Amino acid sequence: KDRTKSKEKPPSKVIIRRLPPTMTEEVFLEQISPLPDNDFFYFVKGEQQFGVPTFSRAYINFLNLEEIFTFQDKFDGYVFLDQKGTEYPAVVEFAPYQRIPLRHEPGAKEDK
Amino acid sequence: SSARSSHIKIRPPLHQYIRHLLYVELGNKGSTNKILKQLRKLNWKDPEVASYAIRCLTSAWKVKFPNIRTLAGVVAELTLYQEFVGHRIVDAVLEDIRWSLEFPISKFNQRRVSMAKYLAELYNYRMVESSVVFKVLYTCITFAVSYDRNVESELDQPDNLMRLRLVLTILDTCGVFFSSGLAKKRLDCYLVYLQYYHLFKRSLPVWTEDNPFPVAIDFGIKDMLLSLRPKLKPYKTLQEAADAVENLEKELMNKLSQAMPELRMDMVTA
Repeated sequence: KDRTKSKEKPPSKVIIRRLPPTMTEEVFLEQISPLPDNDFFYFVKGEQQFGVPTFSRAYINFLNLEEIFTFQDKFDGYVFLDQKGTEYPAVVEFAPYQRIPLRHEPGAKEDK
Repeated sequence: SSARSSHIKIRPPLHQYIRHLLYVELGNKGSTNKILKQLRKLNWKDPEVASYAIRCLTSAWKVKFPNIRTLAGVVAELTLYQEFVGHRIVDAVLEDIRWSLEFPISKFNQRRVSMAKYLAELYNYRMVESSVVFKVLYTCITFAVSYDRNVESELDQPDNLMRLRLVLTILDTCGVFFSSGLAKKRLDCYLVYLQYYHLFKRSLPVWTEDNPFPVAIDFGIKDMLLSLRPKLKPYKTLQEAADAVENLEKELMNKLSQAMPELRMDMVTA
């Protein structure tokens, strides 16, 4: 059975990938400030493991779709640095998975 | 011995408990409900707890392969109570698959296959739409792939067949549900491109009499096609597959130009 929803909204959830593995959310927000108008944002810190890092990444659901392109122009390929000065060119693209929770606050729906 | 002990990770008890639930108890008879209950009791409002638990729930390569389905079921159920958890896990699984294509190191092979399986099981539990699965399927046969036999791709080297293993893992797990509507059409198109990718790889000079293309992959493709599309006649030669791709693209271009007459065909094909 095909479960694809018929309502096709234009994509609005953007991922910023390949950020320095040791980057913190605070540093990220500081560096891209101001954070574009959004109704959904989260940051995931990377991991240094097996010698191959997984990168930090962030997701933003844009409210103004035109802003996506100026944001991408500015930050796709933008070089972020870690504390040691290693360069991490970021990749900005639409997130492959576009859904966002209806309630954005973690634990918003009380689990009793 | 101090050098040795420095390798032992000391984890907070809560982290140890989450790991125990997912990597030891999961798969034991009758454990699923208990695990779910315990996971629901976590303080999901605490960002540190939530991000650790999400990381563990994402790491499908740490559970036994047959338990990946169970893990997806636990996540689907948990998401009914903590909606953001499922979304973050799906985001993380997709990122992991993409990352593993960017770093095609053989020691991550089991991790790659586990994550492909996990994505397909998450689809079976309705956590993702078929369009997301197809994005990954197409990424496997296009991302940094060279279809020019004179140009070798660094990320998809001629003798590396991991991409085909990932595709087979996904289709063997959830392909049976791509049987009607849009998902069926999507699979029909995809199988044309997949066969071309397979036959192209097979035709590369790295495969010789002494180093033949693995029959396991050929059989895997054959069995998958037979099970998902029993009436389909697989392409026998690379040329046959190439012609099919060309015809399919012509057909799609025609449809596109009918839907958008302002689009000039010479612009599209240029």
